[in-house]
Amino acid sequence: MQPMAAPRPLPLFRSSPGSRREWLKRAACGFGSLSLAALAEASPLRVPRAKRIIFLYMSGGPSQMDTFDYKPLLQKSDGKELPFAIPRLQEARKLGKLMASPFEFRQHGESGLRISSIFPRLARHADRLCVLNGMHTNGFDHGQAQIKMATGAETLVRPSIGSWVVYGLGEENKNLPGFISICPMRSERGTRGYSGAFLPASCQGTTIGFEDIPASKARISHLTNDQTPSTLQRRQLDLLAELNGAHRIQSGPDPRAEGVIGSFELAFRMQNEAPKLMDMSRESQATLDLYGIGRQPTDDFGRQCLMARRFAEAGVRFIQLTSTTRKLRPGVSDWDQHENLKEDLAFNAASVDQPIAALLTDLEQRGLLEDTLVWWGGEFGRTPLSQPSKGPAGRDHNPSGFTMWLAGGGVKGGITHGRTDDFGYRAVEDKVHMHDLHATLLHLLGLDHEKLTYRYAGRDFRLTDVYGNIVHPILA
Amino acid sequence: MLAALAMAATFPSLPLASAAAGASFFRERVEPLLQKRCYECHSHGGKIKGGLVLDSRAGWQAGGDSGPAVVPGSLEKSRLIEAVRYLNPDLEMPPKAKLPDGEVAVFEEWVRLGTPDPREAKTVEKAGVDLEQGRRHWAYQPVRDASPPAVQDEDWPLNEVDAFILAKQEANGLKPGPEADPHVWLRRVTLDLTGLPPTEAEIVEFVADHSPKAHERVVDRLLSSIAYGERWARHWLDLVGYAEQIGTEGKVFAEHAWRYRDYLVESFHHDKPFDRFIREQLAGDLLPAASPRERRENLIATGFILLGDVDINAIDKLKMEHDFVDSQVSKVGTAFLGMTLGCVRCHDHKFDAIGQQDYYALAGMFRSTRTTFKTPHGIWSNIHRVPLPELEEDRRIGAAHEEKLAAWRQQKQNLETELNATENKELREKLKPAITQLELRIAHGEYFHPGKPQAIAVQDGAKPTDMRVTIRGNPYALGDAVPRGLVRVAMWGPQPEIPAGQSGRLQLAEWIADSRNPLTARVAVNRVWQKLFGEGLVRSVDYFGTRGDTPSHPELLDHLAHRFMQEGWSQKKLIRTLALSRAYRLSSEDAAAEPENKLLTRMNRQRLDAESIRDAMLVASGRLAAPSGGPGLPLEFPENISGLPITAKSNHPQFSIRTERVSQNHERTLYLPVVRTGTQPGSARLRDVFDFPQPAQFTSKRSETTVPTQSLYLLNADLIRERGEDLAKSLLSVKEDDTVRLARLWLRVLSRPITAAEREDALSFLQASRAAGETRAWTELARALFGTNEFLLRF
Repeated sequence: MQPMAAPRPLPLFRSSPGSRREWLKRAACGFGSLSLAALAEASPLRVPRAKRIIFLYMSGGPSQMDTFDYKPLLQKSDGKELPFAIPRLQEARKLGKLMASPFEFRQHGESGLRISSIFPRLARHADRLCVLNGMHTNGFDHGQAQIKMATGAETLVRPSIGSWVVYGLGEENKNLPGFISICPMRSERGTRGYSGAFLPASCQGTTIGFEDIPASKARISHLTNDQTPSTLQRRQLDLLAELNGAHRIQSGPDPRAEGVIGSFELAFRMQNEAPKLMDMSRESQATLDLYGIGRQPTDDFGRQCLMARRFAEAGVRFIQLTSTTRKLRPGVSDWDQHENLKEDLAFNAASVDQPIAALLTDLEQRGLLEDTLVWWGGEFGRTPLSQPSKGPAGRDHNPSGFTMWLAGGGVKGGITHGRTDDFGYRAVEDKVHMHDLHATLLHLLGLDHEKLTYRYAGRDFRLTDVYGNIVHPILA
Repeated sequence: MLAALAMAATFPSLPLASAAAGASFFRERVEPLLQKRCYECHSHGGKIKGGLVLDSRAGWQAGGDSGPAVVPGSLEKSRLIEAVRYLNPDLEMPPKAKLPDGEVAVFEEWVRLGTPDPREAKTVEKAGVDLEQGRRHWAYQPVRDASPPAVQDEDWPLNEVDAFILAKQEANGLKPGPEADPHVWLRRVTLDLTGLPPTEAEIVEFVADHSPKAHERVVDRLLSSIAYGERWARHWLDLVGYAEQIGTEGKVFAEHAWRYRDYLVESFHHDKPFDRFIREQLAGDLLPAASPRERRENLIATGFILLGDVDINAIDKLKMEHDFVDSQVSKVGTAFLGMTLGCVRCHDHKFDAIGQQDYYALAGMFRSTRTTFKTPHGIWSNIHRVPLPELEEDRRIGAAHEEKLAAWRQQKQNLETELNATENKELREKLKPAITQLELRIAHGEYFHPGKPQAIAVQDGAKPTDMRVTIRGNPYALGDAVPRGLVRVAMWGPQPEIPAGQSGRLQLAEWIADSRNPLTARVAVNRVWQKLFGEGLVRSVDYFGTRGDTPSHPELLDHLAHRFMQEGWSQKKLIRTLALSRAYRLSSEDAAAEPENKLLTRMNRQRLDAESIRDAMLVASGRLAAPSGGPGLPLEFPENISGLPITAKSNHPQFSIRTERVSQNHERTLYLPVVRTGTQPGSARLRDVFDFPQPAQFTSKRSETTVPTQSLYLLNADLIRERGEDLAKSLLSVKEDDTVRLARLWLRVLSRPITAAEREDALSFLQASRAAGETRAWTELARALFGTNEFLLRF
């Protein structure tokens, strides 16, 4: 165990300073600190295959049949009845007949992975993708499925996966938070995506912008102060340090009080560091072009992806991006294509295809893809049945079968794992539940999902609750 | 042969010869399949998931957490068959992929044959709930009165509390530390009791009061202030999951929620006996009432049951209702009993003697209660509300409102007549939007009718019935029905009779509010202790079960619990005793004491909660508004509401705050709206930064964190600048010396006199910063003080 270096901003202190061990526990997962997990006796640490995760979240639930799950029989069965019963809960939704994908699928790379024509640039990375076609989860509505994806629970308030990661690993960079969520949703289900719930608050995600704010305008709140000149603020901080220091001499050492002092200093440093990382003007025009920044519809997600690469480089552990396309074109309901699937899904894909391809290229070129795990997908998939609407049809929610993909640190590239039935409705082979994926993601980071626990209200909690099996066949 | 005989005994219907055939069928076909497909997760050699083992006959007979896995002869009743057939998405085994049809057929055949299984009986440890054993846990033992112990230093104790504290210290060879400075004590007690810091005048008065009654006078003044009611109402709201928004989908307003919040303020302010407080919140609708006013209060109190998170936009209503019941059972467990009951929905409690039987006994009561209803809008539901008995003032307000509505309607009619009469295009284009605007105003006025008071409250359902166990919480997979009743491990008598047609909530309330209940008073007293001393006597304040902390001073806890009940369940009397103890006067300075401070040789420090941080700034700047109450969400502005007038096809009306109520900038944080989605509106934003609990959580202990986002907020947020500016202006408005101003600044923000060194530092800061202007310099100085440990922590 290595001693904690000073000066160290301390993230969490409760009423009493406690024993040294206790103190370390409380300091765990703070900026630049060792993780609690690492100090615990039953250590959850294993050999890591990745050091960080970039989660590309497609809000709304992208359709698997139109992206990464090619279904030849569905293509031949357009307009026909589904030959088996639909799930009980979907009966009320008045679904139509089978609907073939309007998009063409071609094979790509040496692996021959089949990818829909709406992802032409991403398709060039086919041999890096580990496509999970047998995903399934719980919850027919966005709320439940999103919270499941983000926290492993459906209704209860639990820590998000990014918070667990920071809790387990601590931060790499002491000037930055360990978990950053760019342009998340504003709803509570969005908030829960970066909430630390009962974990120490320093495990909570720091947000940059929100879903309805263009990425070009996304900021960390209160990072700047246009009213107080920075010389005055520096003087203010010096006075503050003076006052605190005098009081400390009188009242004795108190780690919590040290924490307040440290966090002011860190805040002051963050005011300098974070804007630099978010400042795109330092990137070459070639890089901006690579990501599609400055052009539509790729500017927004392009900026998010480029920020992600910069944060990854700077040592942020978990970076979540959110693709909400309604801010780009009114009328598009993000990735939730109940109607107008052909046009809207193609638009969505066009807004992320180049940025994601650029991110993979850029990470690879910088040698970061080796230990960065890129994770793509939404909270659930969609039905092979059409959902009739006034205009062109779409597809309904479907938690029983969908696709997510991984790339980079520790997973095999150019493979598919798992299978849905012939129409793409339900996962039937090598199924991977969201819990299984969570277990696997933690495993890749070197964390044992069964041992990464936190005691709260008298019980040990886990990201995977009592579930989760590591998906061994996909590990490189 | 012996095995065959044993089997014949188990399955008497099976002839002996076919029993032998059955045995070989099992050995040849079934067992290899079990080994290959199931043992990894369901055997003693592998994992035992869901409590189910399949490596012995007894294993599947006993089944897992959800009951027997196989019912011999019945394909329909056998969960194993349901699972391998993959027909129920909530119960699919093996989890990774459906078995080939041939293998499913083997299992089906096995069950059809009567499930022959010749394996030697291995005993399966199916740990049922052992009530006898469970009751030995300290928290389920009756509360015993304990008299204060003798101490060596007889001069030290000011009251009984001190005797218990000191005796324990003496027994461990410890001594209490010194008392805190009077300024520190005054700030501490004022913040703890009211959530506000003392004012300049209060500080001056206390310091000048040299009578032995000085402390008592302060405590009594604080206890009788409305601020006390406000402070403790907010503590209680943390246990309720309160918000003025229903669910998290869209932004559906809970327009009557504030009545429950105001009910709490009044209840604590008037020191409503805690047992009465319990009865009202759990069963107010079933209590007799002496007057319409009392009836109103009783109904409003039941908002406790409803004002939590519920997914009102769920397509699966059965699941929504079950989830809501679950949150109600959990809430009752946490708030009143210090029990974690939520996990018992799916399986017997792993550590405490609480079985699914206990959970569903309680759940049945809430399942028999009207809590939600389906609205005409899409798949939306909403939470139950009841009309309140009208009082004279409602009729007056209502009549005035009706007049206003009538005038608008008349106005609208006039405009319409004008519209119909004219062909003038220009005029028509002017009239149309005016009419639409009036329509909106009328619809808004009809929807929010102030003369027809309603409350978010419950009623018993039409047909109260017992609830069936759900398998792993799945409302479509049902087990046996459980008679409604109470939690056995904490009972002292038989289950109560629940009259036909009633939910049982009244019986539940009576049991919780009974002085024989071993948990209620202990949990309540311990929470109050925690608010004053920083840590509970039982540190796991919301959980008194076997995995929780044991009391550091069990006799003191019981003494206080006993006395609390003896003194009419009066929280004010309890707080008075604690606040006037010597233990409460101790300095928080780091004596050479044990680091955990379990024996309380010094005071524990606490970080101010979000409300106190904001409210203390308001007090310091002299801008705190008088108590208000009433709706938190500014729904009186029609532009904040969408979806009115209501049509059959429209969505549920929702809020989106475009116009804020200006007065809210200076109200106590308690009265600002609490929303479930997005950031807290307006100046309530500060809550998000300083550990305000997510309103879906029930907790009486907030986390106290120190993270850079808070510092960024204090350094840069407009809200803090405004408070600093107010404070600067108020200091500068009086013609005084800077040294006098500084002294006042220190009293207002830190509640103590300024030191010479600080005066020097502050003066040179002002000197260096004056270039930015006098007000700006003082503003930034005030803000520096808002960032000090002394302001943010309560010592």
